[in-house]
Amino acid sequence: MAAIGVHFGYTCACVAIFKDGRADVVANDAGDRVTPAVVAYRDTEQIVGIAAKQGRIRNAANTVVKVKQILGRSFDDPEAQKHLAESKCPVINKDKKPRYEIDMGDVTKIVSPEEVAKLVFHKMKETAQSALGSDITDAVITVPFEFGEMQKNALRQAAEGAGFSVLRLIHEPSAALLAYGIGQDSPTGKSHVLVYKLGGTSLTVTVMEVNSGMYRVLATHTDHSIGGDGFTQALAQYLAAEFKKSYKHDVTGNPRAMMKLMNSADVAKHTLSTLGSSNCFVDSLYDGMDFDCNVSRARFELLCSSLFNKSIQPIKALLEQVGLSSSDISKVVLCGGSARIPKLQQMIQDLFPDVELLSSIPPDEVIPVGAAIEAGILLGRESSALDQDSITVDCCARDILVKEADDSGADVYTVLFPSGTPLPARRQHTLHGPGSLSSICMELYQSQAHNNTPQEKVAQIVLNNLEPKEENHDIVTVVTMKRDGSLHVTCTEQGSGKSEAVTVAVAS
Amino acid sequence: MLKEAVEGQVTVVCNAIAASVQFQVEPVGRWFEAFLKRRDRNVSASFQELEEEEELSEESEDEELQLEEYGMLKTLDPKDWKNQDHYAVLGLAHMRYKATQKQIKAAHKAMVLKHHPDKRKAAGEQIVEGDNDYFTCITKAIEILSDPVKRRAFDSVDPTFDNAVPSKAEGKENFFEVFSPVFERNSRWTSKKHVPKLGTMDSTFEEVDTFYSFWYNFDSWREFSYLDEEEKEKAECRDERRWIEKQNRASRAQRKKEEMNRIRTLVDTAYSCDPRIKKFKEDEKARKESEKKAKAEAKRREQEEKERARQAELEAARLAKEKEEEEAKQAAQQAKKEKEIQKKAIKKERQKLRTTCKNWNYFADSEAESVKMMEEVEKLCDRLELVSLQSLNEMLSSGTKEEGKAAVQQVNAQLQKEREAEVQARQASRSSEQASSGSGGGSKGWNEEELQLLIKAVNLFPAGTNARWEVIANYMNLHSTSGIKRNAKDVINKAKNLQKLDPHQKDEINKKAFEKFKKEHAAVPPTVDNAVPSERFEVSGAEANAAWTTEEQKLLEQALKTFPVNTPERWEKIAAVVPGRTKKDCMKRYKELVEMVKAKKAAQEQVAAKSKK
Repeated sequence: MAAIGVHFGYTCACVAIFKDGRADVVANDAGDRVTPAVVAYRDTEQIVGIAAKQGRIRNAANTVVKVKQILGRSFDDPEAQKHLAESKCPVINKDKKPRYEIDMGDVTKIVSPEEVAKLVFHKMKETAQSALGSDITDAVITVPFEFGEMQKNALRQAAEGAGFSVLRLIHEPSAALLAYGIGQDSPTGKSHVLVYKLGGTSLTVTVMEVNSGMYRVLATHTDHSIGGDGFTQALAQYLAAEFKKSYKHDVTGNPRAMMKLMNSADVAKHTLSTLGSSNCFVDSLYDGMDFDCNVSRARFELLCSSLFNKSIQPIKALLEQVGLSSSDISKVVLCGGSARIPKLQQMIQDLFPDVELLSSIPPDEVIPVGAAIEAGILLGRESSALDQDSITVDCCARDILVKEADDSGADVYTVLFPSGTPLPARRQHTLHGPGSLSSICMELYQSQAHNNTPQEKVAQIVLNNLEPKEENHDIVTVVTMKRDGSLHVTCTEQGSGKSEAVTVAVAS
Repeated sequence: MLKEAVEGQVTVVCNAIAASVQFQVEPVGRWFEAFLKRRDRNVSASFQELEEEEELSEESEDEELQLEEYGMLKTLDPKDWKNQDHYAVLGLAHMRYKATQKQIKAAHKAMVLKHHPDKRKAAGEQIVEGDNDYFTCITKAIEILSDPVKRRAFDSVDPTFDNAVPSKAEGKENFFEVFSPVFERNSRWTSKKHVPKLGTMDSTFEEVDTFYSFWYNFDSWREFSYLDEEEKEKAECRDERRWIEKQNRASRAQRKKEEMNRIRTLVDTAYSCDPRIKKFKEDEKARKESEKKAKAEAKRREQEEKERARQAELEAARLAKEKEEEEAKQAAQQAKKEKEIQKKAIKKERQKLRTTCKNWNYFADSEAESVKMMEEVEKLCDRLELVSLQSLNEMLSSGTKEEGKAAVQQVNAQLQKEREAEVQARQASRSSEQASSGSGGGSKGWNEEELQLLIKAVNLFPAGTNARWEVIANYMNLHSTSGIKRNAKDVINKAKNLQKLDPHQKDEINKKAFEKFKKEHAAVPPTVDNAVPSERFEVSGAEANAAWTTEEQKLLEQALKTFPVNTPERWEKIAAVVPGRTKKDCMKRYKELVEMVKAKKAAQEQVAAKSKK
């Protein structure tokens, strides 16, 4: 049994297969692991993928790109309007829903965004099937965190229309975390992870909390104005300027020439992520004149430096929003094709100097891999259906801390039970007390809301009549919290077996 | 490092904790799935662990068990291990079958520590060499008790177990005191958990019912392999082993049966003594009786109701009838009265007529005439209705003598005419009746076809045939299409009728037959109609057959006999012998004859069968 994860992005779609315990991205019929989410309508056929993207130069009016932008949106939606302005393919208003108008020679065909998405999904299904050699229907599909119910439904319908049986729709950032298996080893501990996704047209930064193996989105920021396309655009403008400089011809007014330049710039951009320089060559770009130009990585970074800065900006804002410092982030996950750009990676690394950037999986494949892993988890479940209330869980509201003294005798607080832990839960810690003492006091505090510093004392546990000894007293502390939040703490001194327990009720 | 407790600090809760909050989590990952599963089942991994821990601690407490000294231990003979009390040997005489495996192990350990030969030797005790030391008994005991199967076998024949079943007399007096401990005791053999208690006098019917159904279906694990007389392991060869096994099985089964009987007796005794059962039975009986009574009451009431209704109905009917009768009586009286009045009126009128006539001297001149007229007037008086009499009288009284005479005569003439007409009508009806009856008797639905059939039959069965008319009737019944059954009498009548008919009529019948035939057949091929008729006429005509004279017939029969079936060119030869007949004719005649004979035979057979019946 196998299951697949599908990432359907604004510019590209990608599919990964979960089989034999591991998830892998599969290449499509063109040999690419990522398929451009471009659909071209010809007289008799619909083309999906790289062929459609390259054919766009000649068939721009009948080629649909970035369909995800209007998927499941009403015609008046500002996002849809924005897409409308950019789209080369005419979009009409039909019952307040956007529809593509495809020119099929003598007749005009009205195509809904869902149908376009369906074609893309169908292509992904074919890709997975040809790689597996067997039919496959079970799939997990990723959606952006900001997607509304309408858009999710539209996406689900498109996927089901393509023959998928959708196991679950999961958010892209959590898929990215899952791909790296963050927090999956043990169901304890709490950490914060930043997911940085820079795709073709959009930037999404998400701060997530991983607690007890479960993910929670703390804050997210999406910017549709920044993306890989912007870098390509900048490079293409530069190339056009170069062309003008050498041939005294302005090609910016010629859409076909610009499109050719764009394609060339795109290739050059990809190359520059790995090589120091790249050669842009366009045959008969304008008026039968060929164009040839060398672009170095430094040049490209210079061209895009303002864009890069803009791309990094949201991270800081977001951290401030959730009240975390860069040191609270334990991991940064990079995803999206543009996250390959070395300069960007370096800039992020500068922001989080002590943190490892996770980019071992190719950034544009992280999300489908995570989706495929989730598909593997869900596979064979009797019911993977999820109702709304099952994704809301009771969690611990405050940190539970214990007051200790460090070597110098100053007070330090150690977290025994972090806030946000899904309940019910139990945590066990071994605390130490100096062996010379015959009685030990544990003071339990809970943190104040939104601010950790002024603590509120909850309870104290005293262990008396301990036998003084050379080594430290080991005190096993078991902290249990029920769903309503009531706390039970048991302390046992290992040496003598003396124990004390206390139960703290919930404030009404 | 934890801090030292300040003097006077105690474990205390000083503040309530914040309640839990709800967060939306991402539905991904195995821990999320595990969490969902736990939540669906309402268990938590951590609490489960806690429970297990509690169990563990309980068990550890058990280990501090009290061992009873077994005074006779040192005097035990290891060879007689089978009859020793293994629990007592291990010092568990007070726990017996309730001892856990852990306790047994602990007890054994304690015993070994105390009684091991090496230890005793060190203490300077005298040790019996080999297996004869009493320590072997301890080894044996642990061997039996540590093996669940062997332990069960030993438990089954626990020497301290009281197999006694209380008698009925004992049970009747104080049932609960006597039986409660017995059932308690026996319940240790059950392989099911949750043994229902005997209960008290106040137990509900359901409780008592569950109790007895449990004990009547008692599933015991008690078995008697421990009492096996021979040990399988001692056998030297397979056959011996088999034989031993067989023996053991038989004795075990026997003992098991006894045990089952014992339990059964116990339950039966208890059941019969149980005051609650008696009470329930009485209750049931009372309930049934009251139910029955209620039913009977209801029935009786219903019956009464019915009876009452019937009575009322009868009464109503009677009343209605009486009323009707009364009415009828009254009507009859009325009618009688009217009739009398009418009679009187008629009498009066007649008298009047007579007097008028007399007054007129009967409109006659002579004596004789007057007598005649008198007669006529009398006749009139007899015959005329009231109304006509009245009119006549009026006419007579108003008119002259002549007119009166004329009127009387006119009326008389009219009467005469009427009577004549009546007579005529009666005659006509009579004659018509006769005619219809005559024709009906003669041709009870004889139609053309049947007539033809009859003629044919008569021809077919000439005079002298055995029971000729019955045969003919049968033949008719067989072949007629009308479906009317004829008997011999009918047929005879008709045949005689036909004979009476003149030849002209016969011809007509024949002709009609032909015409009908033609009509029937003409419908089929209208085009060939012109060409075919002559031939058909010949074929269909009975004349062709009739042409065979008696002589010719005889010749033919002779020829048929002289030339048997296998004669070559038989029919040519036959034809040659019969003068004036072709080969074709002969063959046709022969076929007809054969057919005739066949039909005759069939009809005769039928008659014979009928007569037999």
